[in-house]
Amino acid sequence: MSMLKRLLFGDFPAWDDPQACQFRRVQIDLDACDGCKLCVTICPAGVLELYGQKGHKKVRVLDGVRGCVSCNNCHAICENQAIKAVEHFAMSGYYRSEGLGEFQPPRTSLPGPV
Amino acid sequence: MSKTISEARIIEDPEELDEEELEGEADPESAPVETPEGADWNTVERAFLTRRSIRKFKRKQVPAHLIHRMLEVARFAPSQGNCQPYKFAVIRDPKLLVEMEEYCVDQCKQLTAAVNYTTYKKGSFGYYKARVMARLFNAIDPNMLHPVPVTAMTSIAHGKFMVFHRAPTVILILMDKHGIGVPEVDIGIVGTNIVMAAESHRLGTCWIGFSKLLNKSKEWRERLGITDRFEVSEAIAVGYPVGKPWQNLIERPTHEIAWFEDGEKQILG
Ligand SMILES: Cc1cc2nc3c(=O)[nH]c(=O)nc-3n(C[C@H](O)[C@H](O)[C@H](O)COP(=O)(O)O)c2cc1C
Ligand code: SF4
Ligand code: SF4
Repeated sequence: MSMLKRLLFGDFPAWDDPQACQFRRVQIDLDACDGCKLCVTICPAGVLELYGQKGHKKVRVLDGVRGCVSCNNCHAICENQAIKAVEHFAMSGYYRSEGLGEFQPPRTSLPGPV
Repeated sequence: MSKTISEARIIEDPEELDEEELEGEADPESAPVETPEGADWNTVERAFLTRRSIRKFKRKQVPAHLIHRMLEVARFAPSQGNCQPYKFAVIRDPKLLVEMEEYCVDQCKQLTAAVNYTTYKKGSFGYYKARVMARLFNAIDPNMLHPVPVTAMTSIAHGKFMVFHRAPTVILILMDKHGIGVPEVDIGIVGTNIVMAAESHRLGTCWIGFSKLLNKSKEWRERLGITDRFEVSEAIAVGYPVGKPWQNLIERPTHEIAWFEDGEKQILG
């Protein structure tokens, strides 16, 4: 698409539209989380925080803060495997992703046809 | 044409190879590694699978000889036409790193103020002005204004995210703009060599695309000795990671694979 065409007709999502720019929330296993804070510290999007009483802290997604990139760095570092991203972010229009499927761990066998 | 040159030009025809060589069974030393389907990941694969971008580092500096080893591995990366369109700047001076961070944060503040309309009150003059600017920037270079980097840039402007993540060492990859073909691809490859060499020492790395902001400053170009032919293409932050970011294999989306075999096409995912 040429620059002029993009300027006039480029379908760019509004950044503050939660429908057009969908950032996902991570899944948290509250029984497994021991509140060690590692994931909070390393999350590139800064979307995590600890809450609760001292000694019983747990992790949660900050209210109203968007921007999780589903990188799963939180899962990689968690000693208790208590947190993980299971869906990729989804943008509309120009930034809509194509050719991406469901989340899978690394697989050592041939995948089947979709 | 001299004899030596014409001789050097003879390209061996595969037909002239031993039939045994082509079958690949002759020499046990060159036999392929047998990996049955379902076998566990080997060391090299595992290194790629457990590499994560590290953004929280211990204060300890990385020994200079390890950085040098990484840059030696870089020298042997593939590049288009073997043109190797890059050179490096290694920044380990804490004062310089702080100043680089400050400059890039300031750039993020200016850019956020210019284009991120979500930081203005809806309906205000600033809101509409930034929306028009965003549209213009989007048309010129849409990939830069994807919502993810815009969110990151805004977080940096608000002091909630960092550019170089306080890494003790930052390697700037300077791209020769006169390289063959698409030099940006060669930058990606040479950087991967650096990152994976670091990984083998249990060092943590993070690619820093925001390092490009340095190009805009005449002062920084001069301080870093960057001539017109070169530009900061990417940077790689290096240090000792906090925690054990390699301990769990993670999940990521699958990617469509079109598979052509036996006269058929299948889509795998
Ligand atoms: C070319 C390139 C530039 C990047 N720039 C940045 C950056 O400026 N800041 C940052 O924190 N991460 C940066 N990243 C890291 C990505 O965010 C990261 O690779 C991605 O989220 C996947 O996570 P992983 O590397 O842990 O697997 C960059 C990655 C690449 C490949
Ligand atoms: S790293 Fe795991 S255990 Fe620690 S706070 Fe995060 S989810 Fe909880
Ligand atoms: S997936 Fe990545 S961005 Fe999302 S919460 Fe985990 S560490 Fe943060």
